[in-house]
Amino acid sequence: MSPLWLLVSIAVLALIGAVIGRRKAMASAGGDARELHSLPNYYGANVALLVTAPALLVLAAWMILQPMLIEGRVASIVPDAAYQDAGALNLLMADVRRVAGGLDLAVAQGALTAQEAHDAEATDLRARLAEIGVAVGSEVDTVILEAAQRYRVLDSRADLARTVVILILALAGFIFTVSRIDRTYRARNSVELAVLVLLIGASTIAILTTFGIVMSMLFETMNFFRQYPASEFFFSTTWDPSFSGRGGASELGILPLLWGTLYISLIALLVSVPIGLFAAIYLSEYADKRFRGFAKPLLEVLAGIPTIVYGLFALITVGPLLRDAIASPLGLGNSASSVMTAGLVMGIMLIPFVSSLSDDIINAVPQAMRDGSYGLGATQSETIRQVIVPAALPGIVGAILLAASRAIGETMIVVLGAGAAARIDVNPFEAMTTVTVKIVSQLTGDTDFSSPETLVAFALGLTLFVITLGLNVLALYIVRRYREQYE
Amino acid sequence: MNDMRFVERTVGNEEVKIAARGVHVYYGDTHAIKDVNIDIADKMVTAFIGPSGCGKSTFLRCINRMNDTIPIARIEGDIMIDGEDIYDRRVDPVQLRAKVGMVFQKPNPFPKSIYDNVAYGPKIHGLARNKAELDEIVETSLRRAALWDEVKDRLQAPGTGLSGGQQQRLCIARAVATSPEVLLMDEPCSALDPIATDQVENLIHELRERYSVVIVTHSMSQASRVSQRTAYFHLGEMVEYGETGDIFTNPRDQRTENYITGRIG
Ligand SMILES: Nc1ncnc2c1ncn2[C@@H]1O[C@H](COP(=O)(O)OP(=O)(O)OP(=O)(O)O)[C@@H](O)[C@H]1O
Ligand SMILES: [Mg+2]
Repeated sequence: MSPLWLLVSIAVLALIGAVIGRRKAMASAGGDARELHSLPNYYGANVALLVTAPALLVLAAWMILQPMLIEGRVASIVPDAAYQDAGALNLLMADVRRVAGGLDLAVAQGALTAQEAHDAEATDLRARLAEIGVAVGSEVDTVILEAAQRYRVLDSRADLARTVVILILALAGFIFTVSRIDRTYRARNSVELAVLVLLIGASTIAILTTFGIVMSMLFETMNFFRQYPASEFFFSTTWDPSFSGRGGASELGILPLLWGTLYISLIALLVSVPIGLFAAIYLSEYADKRFRGFAKPLLEVLAGIPTIVYGLFALITVGPLLRDAIASPLGLGNSASSVMTAGLVMGIMLIPFVSSLSDDIINAVPQAMRDGSYGLGATQSETIRQVIVPAALPGIVGAILLAASRAIGETMIVVLGAGAAARIDVNPFEAMTTVTVKIVSQLTGDTDFSSPETLVAFALGLTLFVITLGLNVLALYIVRRYREQYE
Repeated sequence: MNDMRFVERTVGNEEVKIAARGVHVYYGDTHAIKDVNIDIADKMVTAFIGPSGCGKSTFLRCINRMNDTIPIARIEGDIMIDGEDIYDRRVDPVQLRAKVGMVFQKPNPFPKSIYDNVAYGPKIHGLARNKAELDEIVETSLRRAALWDEVKDRLQAPGTGLSGGQQQRLCIARAVATSPEVLLMDEPCSALDPIATDQVENLIHELRERYSVVIVTHSMSQASRVSQRTAYFHLGEMVEYGETGDIFTNPRDQRTENYITGRIG
């Protein structure tokens, strides 16, 4: 049975179980739901849960483990002489899988009978498989064919075992729970437990993925530092990777990139924070309902524009405009891509982010606070400056820090607006670049995942991750303290 | 009613401080105040009593135009303070509220230090010439609100960290600090223990010498202790208004009598 059919059977079994469970519970209470410990639906849900949960868990584990185990077994029958190293074995095994899969497919499509597939000769197999759309890397030799046949046998046996085990498990869950149903059985509590486990599972997945991402980055970063001194990476002021073939040693200092990142983010924040904050104050304190109902969604549309579109705006409009209007006349440079361009456009991108978060926070300040201030004869702007903004300040700071992490992680606007030249300069009309841009450029094109020029991307990524993580933690900490403010 | 000690009631040659004529208040479709006419005397304490939801707070909020901050509230009729229509277009509600202070039904200290809470009004209105004067205002205000002894060692602690009753007294101190001419107090003692209540009542007596005070209260004994005039509100109408002693001993309206003798509310 294919996994899909297995899932369907489990679902059907669960459904039947739910109905029977509910019935049995009602019957045990003599048809009076008030006699039951829990609502009748809980008994049904309880059966359905015990039918599905263990079966699905085992099925998931099985699907992951089966190919791994079978490949191990098959690889062990391939004679050592057929390959030189682990890489060659990998390629060979890929062919084995493809041949095995091709044969299965041929049988499924009717191009071969099961017997023909079993007795297939190595000679013209490649061509025959190509006919049904399966490409094999090289001519199929007997070693591969033998391994593939072995693979098919093991795989079909394992599939059968899987079907049996899963169905037994689902049935066992069914029988076990249905047999326990009784007037006093606490079905509600066990459903509650299942909900708890589900929620814990969801949060664990979130945490584990973060952990996994960090670990993989850490692993590659350590590889990088084995090949390139950490002190140079963190303290060198030159970024000059030399790609293999051109010769010469690379200079992989993070400082110029970090400088570009921070400079552009700073300009972006200088643009977005005042504008976003004032817009939020206007919207939440001054604007009447009708204007607010129309302006707020409009601002949020700004947040929905993909950053690449902002990048184009920077490249085509803002960059040349700044160069022709300010940089060239003042003799500050002739480059259309500049820190200023990227910073301004990124700032525009962040305005709705800041304003929408701040607006929510300002709205959360209780009306009683405003009343208190107005009642003492304060004007609207005095109230805003002296009561509302201070009360909302921690939340606003949190919003700004979140905006900062977005600015730091932004890539597209920088590529198109600020260029790709790593440089430390105070002139905002010079082209500079950021960490994220360099991560992309180090990983695109022909890459060899063992050279420091490529691995440096992971070190850059990890550094960036640590910086934004720090900012986010700070933001969360501040936002949390803010919650206690008007208790 | 035997336990009520009636304060001496000065009647005669009094000035009208607040005069309301034909006041109606609507919250959207709810008609919350219906045709209220009242003359509130200067240098006197006037108590508003009445069952919950009858519009006492609403009417109180009309006197310093706090209802302006509620978008759905609509006010009709005239309210004069010192003969000047406060709903006239030339009147700045901000100026008005500096003159007509208010203590709200629910304590609402700012999330600032105790000191800054009290200093807020004086700072905005420039009442102190220097820090020493400001300190002085803060201290006397807190003393008058009977809070000084409890907070004098932690003036820089947040006002929101005080207990409910302390917060209420902080709000009283905050209102007193701007030296308003009229003080509107909406159930100022609802969260206070008898001792603090007594202190606040003493404060009201003291304020009466200079200001006119309007107090909303659910405590009949408090109304009779602190006020010279009492107005009874019922379902948005002002049913009866007169000398506190008369209202309590000799109510003219059946509804007032029922309320006072505890048959409703
Ligand atoms: N902001 C508002 N929006 C809509 N209706 C309101 C609002 N404030 C008060 N009301 C309504 O106006 C009426 C009078 O309310 P008000 O708060 O003045 O009563 P109150 O006499 O102060 O009562 P309490 O003694 O319980 O404080 C009530 O029916 C109330 O529901
Ligand atoms: Mg009230």
